[in-house]
Formats: sequence, structure tokens, C-alpha cells
Amino acid sequence: MNQTTSKQIRILAIALSANGFGYCVMENHGMLEKGKKRAKGNKNLHSLSKIEKLMKQFLPTALVLQDVNATGCRRAPRIKALHQQVIGLAAKQKCKVALITKEKSRITLLGDVKGTKHEMAEFLAQKYPVELAGKLPPKRRLWETENSRMDIFDAVALAVVFRMIEK
Amino acid sequence: MPSLPNYLRTNRKQSALSQEEVAFLLGMKGMDKGKKVSRDESYARVPTLEFALAYEAIYGKPIRELFAGLYEQIAPEVSARAKIISYRKNGSPDPKRQQVLSELALRHKKLVI
Repeated sequence: MNQTTSKQIRILAIALSANGFGYCVMENHGMLEKGKKRAKGNKNLHSLSKIEKLMKQFLPTALVLQDVNATGCRRAPRIKALHQQVIGLAAKQKCKVALITKEKSRITLLGDVKGTKHEMAEFLAQKYPVELAGKLPPKRRLWETENSRMDIFDAVALAVVFRMIEK
Repeated sequence: MPSLPNYLRTNRKQSALSQEEVAFLLGMKGMDKGKKVSRDESYARVPTLEFALAYEAIYGKPIRELFAGLYEQIAPEVSARAKIISYRKNGSPDPKRQQVLSELALRHKKLVI
């Protein structure tokens, strides 16, 4: 008999941001898709419809989000509202939701709570050179705003941490 | 968890090819040939056997891996039909035929990739 019984899991990680969101889809054998979506006008409505489209396309078994209600996490009220809407959407589609705190991500990936986002991005670019090395933004200087490509790295970090915790 | 209907987009991105380039490699013609690849990737259409084989040649992966979801859908159906044939009475039962059919009937019974 030709039977394969390994358990397969497909993760959709979403990192909500001020201008939209970054996303990453991972399956057992690796990264399927990553990218960022911009939202204009009614950002929450646009973001939610795009997330719904992604969920229908990839049919994930788990949705991974940042824990925006964790102590020490400062996010805009709009992001917090969108976060709740996304959780509601996942519940409607019977998809498991996992919340990961910023500290958990840094400890799991860098082993240090004080690690920076850029260090995390560099670590991920080394881990997935084909997919991410070309997307690594230059290190942000104090007076600059964050590069929008960092949303992708935030989403990939969530997915990688979730997989490491699951193992 | 069922696989996605196809993994064309993932493989194309890993190969760093554009939809237009893949369309050219597939031998598609016309102005909007990239759109046809887009439709294949978004499950809007199932490519013909010629294109499916061309995808295999481009990405270097077997069709059953590129169209994993479709394969998982079709394989158990074939097994179920094999089971039906194996129950049919045949004038002169051939042991080789029976073996092939029973193996086929069991092969994808509990297919979980």
C-alpha cells in the first residue's frame, strides 16, 4: 500500500500594520507565499476583504497573529479593532487562531528580548535566502519611517515562531 | 488537511520566473498570455495535458506534486472504481488482474499527504 500518514499543516500568518498587512503562507515543506497588501480609505474594511480572499485561496488550518492585547504591546485602536475582526473571520471559517507576542518572537528567534526587528529580519533572510534575501530592507535610521517590506518579515517571523512552538 | 488544487504559483516564484515568461515557455501565444498562467495558478481553469506536462518540464516536479489537490481528489475516485470492477464477475478470473485491481483499490483508500 502506498499510504502517507504525515500530518500536514498550512499556516497563514498575518502582521497587521499602519498601511495594510504582511502575510506569509507556510506548509510543511516550506514557504508557499509571502507578500504585503496595501489598504486605502477604509483600511479595516479593505484589509479584512483581502484577508478573507487569502483565507479562501489557501484554506489554512491555523491563522497566526500578533497578540495585540498583550501587556506592553502598544497598537492603534484601529489595528486592535481589525485584529478582533480577523479573529471573528477565522472563527467563521473554523480556522484555529494562534496569538504570538512580540517578546515570544524575539526570544524564540534571537534568544534575546532586546533584539531588534532588523536582526530578526536578517535571521529570517538567512533562513530563507531564496525567498527573502532580496527583500531585506536596509537598516532603518532614526529619522526614517519603517520600510513597508518589514511587514513581510513580521509575518514570516510569526509563522516561523508558530512552527517552532508546535514542534 | 487537503492540499491546494495546485502549487504552480509557489514553484514559479521559487524559479523567479514571471507569468509572461512561463507562458512563453508553455508555448502560449497572444498579447495576454500571462493571464492564462494566472488563471491556471488561481485555480480558475485546469490546464490541458500538454500544458500540464510542460509545467512538469519547467518546474522539474511530477504532475501529481504540481497538482496535488487535484490528484488527491482523483486518486480515491479511481480506487473506488477499481473496487467496483474487482467485484464484477469475470468469465475466467485472471489472478494478475485481481491482484492489480485489489492493490489499486487499497492504494488511495486512506491517502493523507
